[in-house]
Amino acid sequence: MTTLTCRDGAALLMDYLEGTLPADVRADVDAHVAGCPRCVEFLRAYRETPRILRESTDFEIPESLVESLQRFLAARRGK
Amino acid sequence: MEVPLLDSPSLEPNDEALARRAGEGDESAFEALVARFQGRVYRLVRRLTGSDGEAEDALQDAFLQAYRSLGAFRGEAKFPTWLYRIATNAALMQNRRRARRPAEPLDAYAPRFDETGRHAREPADLSLAARADELLDRRRLVAQAREGIDRLPETLRAAFVLRDLEEMPTAEVASVLGIEPDAVRQRVHRARLLLRGYLSHLVGVEP
Repeated sequence: MTTLTCRDGAALLMDYLEGTLPADVRADVDAHVAGCPRCVEFLRAYRETPRILRESTDFEIPESLVESLQRFLAARRGK
Repeated sequence: MEVPLLDSPSLEPNDEALARRAGEGDESAFEALVARFQGRVYRLVRRLTGSDGEAEDALQDAFLQAYRSLGAFRGEAKFPTWLYRIATNAALMQNRRRARRPAEPLDAYAPRFDETGRHAREPADLSLAARADELLDRRRLVAQAREGIDRLPETLRAAFVLRDLEEMPTAEVASVLGIEPDAVRQRVHRARLLLRGYLSHLVGVEP
């Protein structure tokens, strides 16, 4: 029987999601999560956080900056 | 195995071939590299600096530094990794130059546990951050997501941006930042925990 707590599980989440935990530790996390709705929901949010932030910061280079970069580099290269 | 057809007129030369030619003084090869990477480098430095003006300065510095250093490019790293290292340093230098107003740290958004080590919040509250993009007005989310990333300590921000936003492999992030892969993983993990709590706060539930 596992003695893993939610706090212990939270500390291992990155390794857990990437599949890099030792098999016995992974089994402990699996056993805890299977009986812990809080960890199921926390895991869901932890996993989605990078996606939400990635999609919210998908900056495109402004056309004006493409032109000013060309001018800047041409001047420094003596063109 | 796929063999790059460097001289085929119908295919673009690969990054490393262009970099070698640019390093030998071929100006058109350098211009091709700028055209190929300017969007990606801009997005990276914009994420790292949190500001339009500093991103512009970092973008210019990065490509100028790359131009000056291409003669020393030996292809030991992939060209994008090499360029990202230069761009990351340019962005971090911009951050150090500016007199940043002290950002309120995100530590308050770390997960909370009770005395037995159990999550302090109810299950329904714990996953709400996963739906921040459904629950929040898009414009508000975009503005506050940028603010949240900007409020990360610089060490966490650089690792998180490269690994989770630019989706670089951990080993390449370690190479760019000059730290061990384990340190990358620890920083990314800490950033995810804080940002999850921050998103949770945005949707009205404390972490």
